[in-house]
Amino acid sequence: MTAILSNAQLRNVGSASRKLTAGLPPATVILSFAVILVVILWSLVPGLFTSLSPVTGDTASKLAAPSAAHWFGTDYLGRDQYARVVHGTASSVTSALVAVLIGLVVGSIIGLASGFRGGWVDAVLGRFVDVLLAIPGFLLAVVIVSSLGFQTINAAIATGVSAVAVFARLMRAEVMRVRSASYVEASYLEGGNRLHALLGHVLPNAYRSVLVLAVLQFGTSILIIASLAFLGYGDPPPASDWGLLVASGKTYVTAPWLVYAPALVIVVTVLSVNRISRWLRNAK
Amino acid sequence: MTGDYRRFALTRAAQAIVVVLLAYVFTFLIISVLPGDAITNTLRDPQHGLSEEDIQRIVAFYGLDQPVVIQLLLSLGRFLTGELGFSLQSNLPVSQLVGDALPSTLTLATTALVIAIVFAGAIAYGAQYLPGKWAAIVRSIPSFFLSVPNFVIGLVLIEFFAFRLHSFTTTDPNSPVATLFAAITLAIPVSAPLAEVLIASLDHESRQEYAVVARSRGLTEARLFAKHLVKPAALPSVAMVALIVGELLGGSVITETIFGRDGIGTVVQKAVTGEDQPVLQAVVSLSAVVFVAVNLVADLASPLLDPRVKIRETKLKEKVGA
Repeated sequence: MTAILSNAQLRNVGSASRKLTAGLPPATVILSFAVILVVILWSLVPGLFTSLSPVTGDTASKLAAPSAAHWFGTDYLGRDQYARVVHGTASSVTSALVAVLIGLVVGSIIGLASGFRGGWVDAVLGRFVDVLLAIPGFLLAVVIVSSLGFQTINAAIATGVSAVAVFARLMRAEVMRVRSASYVEASYLEGGNRLHALLGHVLPNAYRSVLVLAVLQFGTSILIIASLAFLGYGDPPPASDWGLLVASGKTYVTAPWLVYAPALVIVVTVLSVNRISRWLRNAK
Repeated sequence: MTGDYRRFALTRAAQAIVVVLLAYVFTFLIISVLPGDAITNTLRDPQHGLSEEDIQRIVAFYGLDQPVVIQLLLSLGRFLTGELGFSLQSNLPVSQLVGDALPSTLTLATTALVIAIVFAGAIAYGAQYLPGKWAAIVRSIPSFFLSVPNFVIGLVLIEFFAFRLHSFTTTDPNSPVATLFAAITLAIPVSAPLAEVLIASLDHESRQEYAVVARSRGLTEARLFAKHLVKPAALPSVAMVALIVGELLGGSVITETIFGRDGIGTVVQKAVTGEDQPVLQAVVSLSAVVFVAVNLVADLASPLLDPRVKIRETKLKEKVGA
């Protein structure tokens, strides 16, 4: 009897402590959010994190190894690499946000129109999405940025256009899934119209999967924009986009930290974004 | 079934042709958005050393003195007959440029594909059969692979294997060892989505009744894997082949730049820097052709490989009919 009681008690205690931790996401997710917070602060208020200039340096201490004074070392002009990374964040991260927004907005409109109108609208938009998918994403981004001109904002637009197709497909699938659900048909019977179905049923249902994709795409966009900057298709120096820092650092074989520091920042940022996306997906 | 399959195959083939043509037009529109008179600027750049006669010939060939619509029709008409035009930088036929670069990229991409499949298979196998904690670590590898930019992988491999261990030299990028490391660079991001699909489908298959029955009959996990699970678990990845080809083509731009290889990626990069529009147009359209063709083959093959895919076939037909 006591055994049963204590078992029950144990179970209660167990579920109580589980409830306590259930409110908190796993440690890796919290860490990921912390990383993203730092990255956001770097882009909003870089001056808070470093007092050194990203543009002018002290040539006397050029190509210095990482130290307490220069966490990421210095480059060939004696500029502090940490300051360059921090000041390059705004452009590297904001452009990825712009890219996701373009993909999200344009893709969602295409997907919603396809799913709701059906018929020839769906057929035409469907072929357009097929075309976007048929051209390898990175190649498409390269062609668009070469046509618009080598600037980070154009790299962001190019990355956004190459992300339109995935959002369009997801949104169309969500509309198709919800549209034929019986509760939506019931809402039509009650006199609801398409707009009502869209606002009341499709968007609330689709929001979670769209959010997961948007976060995932944010990480991908950081990578693509860094790759474009690496090839020299973003803002020219003295801009210090992360990809550009890696590209200009690779000439100095004796100073590998010039490559590793910005590379590590990219990897940790994207890893965190992907972790958050996975957590959002599984938290369903 | 055969009549149905033939109709399905013909519809898909027709769709594929339409998509390729539209991709050509779309690329043409993007490229001719170029502000200013870039194409004639490129032509008149004294560095190219083109004579006035050459320039006149090229202007007439592309119809550069005519409206964009005419230029598009001219160019599309040539594309349909397999004529890709001339490079503005070197005055060489684009088909020759692409043909010269293709073997290098094909070697790189094929090696990368094999490595990616091996990596993905190993990750999926480890995720399934390693003891708990190790399996969890292995399961997070794809996510890690997806977070590392291609160019970082390449630079790290060069730093360690070329500069420190002297396994290869960057001055001889076409040596087998250098090719192997370039292929690993290209393979890592490609192996990640493949591994994710394999892990998921292996999880799914090993829970199926037939697997449980086989285990209860005393089959070892290794034999169960090799005899029963590999085939059905690998089938969903057939649908990914086209996606992978796209990744390989796009990734070759970066990989070839880093390793100094002369392939399609390098052709693209030179064309972008030199505003060589006919070359860009040709390479992008050909990539679309490759992607669409591979996709078509994968779509047509999957009902034949896996009888369960019949359901998907009818779904597709509904989509086409709608």
